[in-house]
Amino acid sequence: MGLLVVSISEYNCSNWIFFVSAIKAAVLIQRWYRQYVARTEMRRRYTWHIFQSIEYSGEQAQIKLYNFLGYLMDNFTPSSNERNLISHIFRENEVCRDAEWERYFSYENIEVPDIYSGPHLTFPLTVEQAFGLVEAFRNKKQQLHSRYVLQLLLETWKLLRMLPNISRISTCHSKEITICGDLHGQLEDLLLIFYKNGMPSLENPYVFNGDFVDRGRDSIEILLILFSFLILYPGDVHLNRGNHEDHIVNLRYGFTKEVLTKYKLHGKRILKLLQKIFSWLPLATVIDQKVLVLHGGISDTTDLSILTRLDRHTYISALRPPKKRHMSSATASIDSDMDDDIWSANRMSQRRASLTYPKPIGTKECFHNRSLQDFSERIRANIEALEMCKRQVHAHAQAQDQAQAQAQTNSPISSSDVDSVSLSCESIRSYTAKDEWRQILDLLWSDPMTQDGCIPNEVRGGGCYWGPDITEDFLLRHNLQLIIRSHECKQDGYEFCHNRKVLTLFSASNYYDVGSNRGAYVKMGPDLVPLVFQYQASNMTRELTVRQRLRSALKVLREQLFAHKSDLMSAFKKFDSDNTGFVPLNDWASAVESVMHLDLPWRMLRCQLVTCKTTSDGMIDYYEWFSELAIKGHKDTDHIDQSLLETLYRHRSTLETIFRMVDTDNSGFITIEDFRQTWKLLSVYLKMEITDEAISDIAVTIDSNQDGSIDIDEFMEAFRLTDKKSRLERGRSMFMVTATDLTKLEGDPNI
Amino acid sequence: MAPKKKEEPKPAAPAAPKPPEPEPPKVRFPSVSDFKDAFQLFDRTPTSEMKITYAQCGDLIRALGQNPTNAEIMHVLGKPKPEDMQTKMLDFDQFLPIHQHICRAKDRGTFEDFVEGLRVFDKEGNGTVMGAELRHVLATLGEKMREDEVEQLMQNQEDANGCINYEAFVKYLLSS
Repeated sequence: MGLLVVSISEYNCSNWIFFVSAIKAAVLIQRWYRQYVARTEMRRRYTWHIFQSIEYSGEQAQIKLYNFLGYLMDNFTPSSNERNLISHIFRENEVCRDAEWERYFSYENIEVPDIYSGPHLTFPLTVEQAFGLVEAFRNKKQQLHSRYVLQLLLETWKLLRMLPNISRISTCHSKEITICGDLHGQLEDLLLIFYKNGMPSLENPYVFNGDFVDRGRDSIEILLILFSFLILYPGDVHLNRGNHEDHIVNLRYGFTKEVLTKYKLHGKRILKLLQKIFSWLPLATVIDQKVLVLHGGISDTTDLSILTRLDRHTYISALRPPKKRHMSSATASIDSDMDDDIWSANRMSQRRASLTYPKPIGTKECFHNRSLQDFSERIRANIEALEMCKRQVHAHAQAQDQAQAQAQTNSPISSSDVDSVSLSCESIRSYTAKDEWRQILDLLWSDPMTQDGCIPNEVRGGGCYWGPDITEDFLLRHNLQLIIRSHECKQDGYEFCHNRKVLTLFSASNYYDVGSNRGAYVKMGPDLVPLVFQYQASNMTRELTVRQRLRSALKVLREQLFAHKSDLMSAFKKFDSDNTGFVPLNDWASAVESVMHLDLPWRMLRCQLVTCKTTSDGMIDYYEWFSELAIKGHKDTDHIDQSLLETLYRHRSTLETIFRMVDTDNSGFITIEDFRQTWKLLSVYLKMEITDEAISDIAVTIDSNQDGSIDIDEFMEAFRLTDKKSRLERGRSMFMVTATDLTKLEGDPNI
Repeated sequence: MAPKKKEEPKPAAPAAPKPPEPEPPKVRFPSVSDFKDAFQLFDRTPTSEMKITYAQCGDLIRALGQNPTNAEIMHVLGKPKPEDMQTKMLDFDQFLPIHQHICRAKDRGTFEDFVEGLRVFDKEGNGTVMGAELRHVLATLGEKMREDEVEQLMQNQEDANGCINYEAFVKYLLSS
């Protein structure tokens, strides 16, 4: 024992040997340690990739679905069943007078029973009440009674209506402003921020940069807390709208479900009121006229003056422009003012362009066009399959022809150039409206990229990717020095880019998984230098190692792979023309990427994903691989066709979203008839054959009490479409696990 | 070790004779495209140019399963100056031979080598070494580790007396 002592002057043979051995041992250990660190880092990186690409592809799927439904809307006659089904999601909120609104959302007749032990609110709200609310949610995990919720929301709405689109605030004197990013229903993180940084107050102003809801479990609680402080300190608490403050997105990502589950009686009313409130949330905040805080980002056309003067509340959902009142040709919608031929690429591009950046830029044209082609091809094929559609489309085209002809004769400029139509008043207004709408879409959905330029954000499906040159230009034009945005999860909770001119701030720690990332908030004083503070909520009793996180990411990936079995099988067969049942590794990877479109390092993941033995020359037995991946169906569903099950599984998010759209009164139930219609819709969307018989089979299986209505949750359950085991997989929304399910998982050895 | 080569494709159900398959990937040395994926993960260039810095080279080689010393990496990179490490870049074709060179290096250390090495510090010959001594050695000898790195490596390894059972320690290291 004792510390190593070396004295070179004392030449001692055994000491020397010892010394040499010691060095050798040290080097050996050091080498291995460094390898361990590198491998861990590598694993962490591709685990992150997996989660993120699945998340983004979910968002993209949502937008694609929405686009598709919108297209159908424009092409079905008003009386068709399908149109009725989905019309309500596109319906403008009825324009009511304030008095009517207040009556509709009246809370006075809601009684609070004596047994209610949660917080009681009286208005005007006091600081003590706000603190009490926070404590109630933190300690006792209580729910605020719906009466108070409605009352609070009403007060919030009254306040928000008076705010401008862009709040302008100042760090006058020595006030430091705190800015927070995405919270996504993760109450622990908000509480952690309050703990470290203090609650909002006159001396402690805050800006919350959107995405308060969805994915996490406590979205409504976060909203209630934020709104309380907003009401208390309207000059010192500022909320920006995020892309998730949108009822369409909420249908897929869990907020709608959360509210309906927690507030069974008045959930619908609360959701309706929230729709209004979301649309009234300000779009951005500017600090000291120099720092712009907004949720997503900018594009090369972002113009703060347009954003300042538009009517933000007409954009209930950012995914759809507000419909103006149309004239006689009732089917003419905002984005159909160009061509008369429905089948033309232009018409398709109008629809598609409505959700992505419409002008291809320079060399990125092929990138943009590729998606246009893809979309129009798919829709074309789908519609061609539907007899009814064809007929209606024809009728519509005729109607449009007439309208066009009429417009052209009335217009002083008689040119065959279709663009001349846009000279009419109606079209000018609609052009501006589309322009405005794109401003909002870009603001809420865009992401920065490292290359110069501005291209459509194909990954998310909305907004764009913008480069450092766009940032420079924008800052110069508006005389700003920094953009603070959120919208993207970052491992350290924050990240600078574009020469430190853009700061991404993300406040939901452990977003993808326990231990996946920290959260961060920023404090800024009059010097406008952002000071970043990081944290990590640790509500789980044990931290996951990278290994464990990787395991859960792989689990998710395997399920996705299995859900695409048919497509993968076809892809493999293309490489295996001799039908040997084997494909080489490279081909396996190419096939998988071509089907999954997740842009993951498949070769690296191969040894984790393919555990069945490969042959000695590296060939993969894909049949065996599929049986390894197989997800067992529920016993009651064995009679249901396997490929149908696979479809169900793969598109479960979409299916659930459609269900919730169809469930117009937000009751959690849909009728058998609506259920059938939903399937018809889905089969068109997915371009697949689903026979009436198959649908009846499913319906009968689910409507176990034969009362003619189907419980959405039960349906998703029955087909193993809610995966209880993967609580660790981010996007509880993807699997819609309910709060009670989570408690059952604590003892699960598989996790 | 020479990789096995398959001359004939595996027989399958259908009758028709099969044309010879293209050379399948060798089992002993993973194919170049395996590395490409990893290389891409490390590529931090703004335009995804498939380039990494000299400084990342060592990490990438290690992530791919080798465990060279820092000295070996410097040597194979041509003994670059410290300021070059962050600025000079390697593309994939330049990286491959470097990686291969490291792969060919002689045996990288077996379980026995480790245990032998640590036995040097086992003064009492009882299968344990002093945690403190090991920390000191790792931080002062060989390719010195930083204090936080030593801490990360050694956390939870020492018992109540500050001793480490080194066979267990080596098993833990090798299983990471």
